[in-house]
Amino acid sequence: MTPAKVHRLGYVLFALFTLTAPWVLPLFVDGFWVDIYSEMLIWSLLAASVNLLFGYVGLLSFGQALFFGMGMYGVAIGVAKIGLGFWPAFGFGIFLATGMALVAGIFAVRLTWHYFAIITVVFSLIFYFTALSWKPLTGGDDGLSFSMPPMFTFGEDNEISLTDPTVQYYFIVTCVGLCYALMALVLRSPLGRALVTVKENDMRASLIGLNVYLIRLTAFVCAGFLAGVAGSLFAFFGRYASASYMFYHVSGEAVVWAIIGGVGTLLGPVVGATLLITLREELSHAWEHYLILVGVIVILVVVFAPKGLGGLWLALVNRLFGGTKAPPARAEDAPRATPKAGPGEEKP
Amino acid sequence: MSGQPILEIDGIEKHFGGLAALGGVYANVESGKLTAIIGPNGAGKTTLFNVITGLLPPSAGRVRFLGEDITDRPVHEISRRGLARTLQIKSVFNGMTVRENLWIAAQSRDGVFKPFQRASQSKRANRVADDLCEELGLGPLADQQAANLSYGDIALLEIGLALATEPKLLLLDEPICGMGPAETEQTVAKIRELSQRIDIVIIEHDIEVVFDVSDEIIVMNLGKVLARGTPDEIKSDADVRTAYLGDDDDA
Repeated sequence: MTPAKVHRLGYVLFALFTLTAPWVLPLFVDGFWVDIYSEMLIWSLLAASVNLLFGYVGLLSFGQALFFGMGMYGVAIGVAKIGLGFWPAFGFGIFLATGMALVAGIFAVRLTWHYFAIITVVFSLIFYFTALSWKPLTGGDDGLSFSMPPMFTFGEDNEISLTDPTVQYYFIVTCVGLCYALMALVLRSPLGRALVTVKENDMRASLIGLNVYLIRLTAFVCAGFLAGVAGSLFAFFGRYASASYMFYHVSGEAVVWAIIGGVGTLLGPVVGATLLITLREELSHAWEHYLILVGVIVILVVVFAPKGLGGLWLALVNRLFGGTKAPPARAEDAPRATPKAGPGEEKP
Repeated sequence: MSGQPILEIDGIEKHFGGLAALGGVYANVESGKLTAIIGPNGAGKTTLFNVITGLLPPSAGRVRFLGEDITDRPVHEISRRGLARTLQIKSVFNGMTVRENLWIAAQSRDGVFKPFQRASQSKRANRVADDLCEELGLGPLADQQAANLSYGDIALLEIGLALATEPKLLLLDEPICGMGPAETEQTVAKIRELSQRIDIVIIEHDIEVVFDVSDEIIVMNLGKVLARGTPDEIKSDADVRTAYLGDDDDA
């Protein structure tokens, strides 16, 4: 088997598990893990939004919870205050998050590294405190809950709604799946290659004629979109929006998930979010200070597997199934490489 | 085209605080000639390149490229007009393969804001990348990460990045600095060959190479143009000898 085949097999197994989880998971563990799994998938999108910025275009954001929160409030305010139906509210949440990312991004992506990280924190704090104090609209400390509008209605009484757990699960899986498919599509496009180029060397990127600012802004808006979808889904999931999900603590968690899962790999964030939410669910009741363990894991991963568990997996598969060998030092020593069709295959 | 100025440097000044790195540089670069800029360390050669390519805004003066004012234009726009450069400290995309490096430089000419097209289906960029791999002798290294290349190969790759953007004028900042004798010879031959089809300005400290390849030499000192002329004229210029070459004939 070639590494590519192993990866494809991995994707298929992951997809099969996800699609059958409502039946498979209860065979092994308590049924509430189906709910938790769908929650993990939602949170993985927030980690994916960090990953798109940090892993692909080289910007470390500690403010992605802002766009998650915008998505949440978009849905909750849309339903509870404006009286929107299911789909318009969903669209409103995503629109609000993406629009917010555009506005914030116009200022934020002028900066890089710690300056960028700081401005993203500042943005999210401004809106966190705004949400907290604007009680009539957001519910302040209490948050804003709403009753679930139906997705579709047929005739008088028949309707499809997320109140049905199966509908809810597959709705979440479909949305999350579409987001990852979209991300995979963009990452293997010229734009995706340009993102990596900017991360690698922004000065060289502009010297070959790439508009670095516009590329960073595009990535920032796309990341805001992903976080917005996550927030909107989470609002439907909990029938609730709260400013606490906009706090930088949430942003920081997403960064940890992304780093542990592996930045620069498409599905790394799913691995990171799944693993750490499982830890939280299992350990937080039993051990108050379980975050110490999370801290140790982060340190171990950063030191021993800088590309995260996703990167570790890629390296392992490449070694076991004959991937690239150690690079030769000089041109003369190099084996004759076979020309490839594209500029390098994408990593999962 | 010979004799037409492709680049006009009109009174460029650059001050860093109280220090005048460039104190009013006037120089035209003529098409069809290989122009070399020489001068002692700190003469302002690289600063001048940085101003021309938009990496540094000048304190005063204008730069015109192909007759159009490019002063204060963004770096990427100047690149798109056909002005490419290499850096003194070699700068490529280390985490990408040789081929990916060349590919993105070629693709930047066709635009990269194509989120729903597969990168591997960009026929022109694929062809340019493959051709340049062959042309630069990097073919066997095409799938190697740039970070694993030898210094000389990285320098070649950087020239390749510039060429992939199909420039009209190529600025090379110390292209053979740090190379061994064999690599130097190879690179100089490449530069001479390229100068047949692209206008080149080169900053170089190796005087033998400069006298060997260039048609025109601009000597800079203390942020100004000290002298310019053909290699023979420069060799016999008294000011240049004292300021830069020293009194030794072998310099």
